[in-house]
Amino acid sequence: MTGRTSSLARAGFSLALALCVTLAIVAAAGAPPLTTLAVMLDGGLGSGQAVLRTLSALVPLLLCGAALCVTFAANLWNIGVEGQITLGAVCCVWFLRDLGLAGLVPPFLAVPGALAASMVGGAAWALLSGVLRTHGRVHEIFSGLGLNFVAMGVSLWLILGPWKRPGMASMSGTEPLPAALWLPALGGRPMSLWGLILAVAAFVLVAWVLNRTFFGLTLSAVRQNAMAAERLGLRPKRRMLAAMALGGALAGLAGGVLVAGLYHRLIPSISGNYGYTAIMAVLLASGSLRFLPLACLFFAVLTVGSIQLPLALSLDSSLAGVVQGVLVLTLFAARRLWPAGNTGSTGGTRNRGSAA
Amino acid sequence: MDVVLSQIVKRFGPLAANDDVTMRFAPGTIHGLLGENGAGKSTLMRVLCGVLAPDGGEVVVNGRACPGLTPEGAGALGIGMLSQDPLDFPPLPVWENFALGGGPVLSRSQAKARLAAVCARMGFVLPPDAPVSRLTVAERQQLELARLFDRDVRLLILDEPTTGISPAQKEALFGVLRAFVADGERVVALVTHKLAEAKELCDTVSVLRQGRLVGSFAAPLSTTAILGAMFGAEAACAVGAVPPRPAPVVGGEALLRVTDAVIADEKIVLQPLSVAIRPGEIVGLAGISGGGQEAFLRGLAGIAPVVAGSLAVAGRELAGKPATRFLNAAVHYLPASRLEEGLFPGLTLLDHVRLAFPERRAEARAIFAERCVGRFRLTNLPEAKAARLSGGNQQRLLLSLVPDDTRLLLADNPTRGLDAASIAQIWDHFRERAAAGAAVVFFSEDLDELLAHAGRVLVFFNRALVADLKAGIFDAACVGDLMTGRTVPGQAVA
Repeated sequence: MTGRTSSLARAGFSLALALCVTLAIVAAAGAPPLTTLAVMLDGGLGSGQAVLRTLSALVPLLLCGAALCVTFAANLWNIGVEGQITLGAVCCVWFLRDLGLAGLVPPFLAVPGALAASMVGGAAWALLSGVLRTHGRVHEIFSGLGLNFVAMGVSLWLILGPWKRPGMASMSGTEPLPAALWLPALGGRPMSLWGLILAVAAFVLVAWVLNRTFFGLTLSAVRQNAMAAERLGLRPKRRMLAAMALGGALAGLAGGVLVAGLYHRLIPSISGNYGYTAIMAVLLASGSLRFLPLACLFFAVLTVGSIQLPLALSLDSSLAGVVQGVLVLTLFAARRLWPAGNTGSTGGTRNRGSAA
Repeated sequence: MDVVLSQIVKRFGPLAANDDVTMRFAPGTIHGLLGENGAGKSTLMRVLCGVLAPDGGEVVVNGRACPGLTPEGAGALGIGMLSQDPLDFPPLPVWENFALGGGPVLSRSQAKARLAAVCARMGFVLPPDAPVSRLTVAERQQLELARLFDRDVRLLILDEPTTGISPAQKEALFGVLRAFVADGERVVALVTHKLAEAKELCDTVSVLRQGRLVGSFAAPLSTTAILGAMFGAEAACAVGAVPPRPAPVVGGEALLRVTDAVIADEKIVLQPLSVAIRPGEIVGLAGISGGGQEAFLRGLAGIAPVVAGSLAVAGRELAGKPATRFLNAAVHYLPASRLEEGLFPGLTLLDHVRLAFPERRAEARAIFAERCVGRFRLTNLPEAKAARLSGGNQQRLLLSLVPDDTRLLLADNPTRGLDAASIAQIWDHFRERAAAGAAVVFFSEDLDELLAHAGRVLVFFNRALVADLKAGIFDAACVGDLMTGRTVPGQAVA
């Protein structure tokens, strides 16, 4: 209802306020505020290498963001994205190790097959949460969170147990895979651009499914009113499971891309908090697909840029986490403070009041 | 106590719920506030008891203006409201509900003693230690009244107090109200949309229509004048005309056959019951809150499971089957809370059509124009969001989404909160469906309405089907007695 300019003004206001509060905290911690900001920006966007690192962080964020948009469309809080990434990575490594290395699949099918396996793994892990929700009355937030820990345990067990390096088990991960089983790099860069292409394609697909298909319409019906969906015979439980499976497949694909395109082995906590960060990105974009890529980019710059703080300014590395947390929290708080945002929300409740 | 509402204005967005309303509540009178649903009666009363702040005008109590009235402030002045749905705490015992809010902090023994004193004065029987969730609606009303009387309320506001209670309970309530104003000092404000109640009880009546005060009358009250004010002159004739009660359907194969079925809803499990309903019947379910009639309706719809016995529609066994099987058997259910259970508030009307007729979704626009607008007289644009619909249009949309080949139409309070034109349209539609060979089963909290439109009445009491009455042999008093568990000798019991 509010024009585009006013929503842009609102975003600018939130960003400015968030920056002010963040810089105040940085200054209070004894660091030069503006330099800190410059270092973070430079670390995220300052050079070709930095941009590539940011893009490589953008790929899993975008995939997980798309995954979350699908589940949010059905009003599901898919907190288990982290675990779904991990299971995707595990399945990808399994396919490449046990089928690719053993020559059981033709070489040109190894990497696509591994990515497909990672999608199946993520979908299965997400379906566990989904079935617990629809048939076990366990909310997906709790099952998702619990399964994240289980997934981490599974990956650690594989790294230190069955898949340990010859001779010694190491927290640095499993034996690296041969380059033939990597996602083909475009131009020999550290992160394969194929990942970015896949992520953008997945994002476009999700946007199309949610906005243009009958399945997308039924998902928004389930979000709006699961009971009415039940009354109309739309089988909301099945729709929820389908949304979970699709979301899980996308998160699993993120795990697969991390293995086949970046790490080339299974490492502990391979999900790297991308699942949680993606939740923040989706919330920042208010669930809007149009703003999601921007929000993902913002978090990618933040994540990559803050790595530079300890190196460039010899700040304690925990400050990077503080900066991220404060920035995000203020951003959310500031959106409520903007006058346009306030009238919008009270207008909604007022209408509800008069209808009652 | 002398209370004057002076030029009250209250707006909700573009809608003026109260537009320059002035009225006086004189001491020692029962003052009726009449009007259709949505006329602004409840809003005005909420302004009076401080729940809503008016956008203009003032409340004058005993000659003194009271700006910035809050519920606490109104309570201190002696203004108390019995709201339409009881505002109590169901898990807490009666005496705790009695002691809560607006009074001094009482010990358990003090609270029980004061409750006993009020109950003795008013003739109520309330078990002090029972949880409120076990009380009937009438008893919860009595509890709230006892609480208000204990706080020495001077102006008592009642919002549709006779909804969901039996005729006998209504008489008892009216007796209490007459005794309340007998001292010539206290005032009762009675909000109702039923003219008969106002005529029976009120000394003066104010009529609201679309937020404006359109008439004030003193006893003796004239039916035609008040109806004219409530609905406008031409509509009043249509409202006054009561359609013929449908004749009972006899003979023929039963469409719905329920045999020794046990229906388990979320909170209650019904006693085993058996009933057969034929095509063309319009069956009304009577019962007070908690009687089991809503659970029965939800059981027929496949929402509450049938855990034992048999439920067959057109020969197809459906007991224990999921709700989608009921839909496939052409059983459709209209929920009482339309927006909360039946519609998708944020989706457009066109999306509703697509979701309801998925195999024909490419022609959604044509279906909307032909069906929703043409046949059901929905007056909104196809791109409007369902949340914006008025109550009447919500029900029109829901009805238009029910397919034509529906064999069993179930409706929970189909006219609750609707204006007179919508109500008339809904009953016409139900009669058309029945004439075309469908069976209609409905529940209404309004017993007069139920008896006017049902060709057959099933009465529920205490989670059991207690009577199956054919048209012509029932009247309000008899059904009311059955609803509240008083057995009538010689009455046919199913």
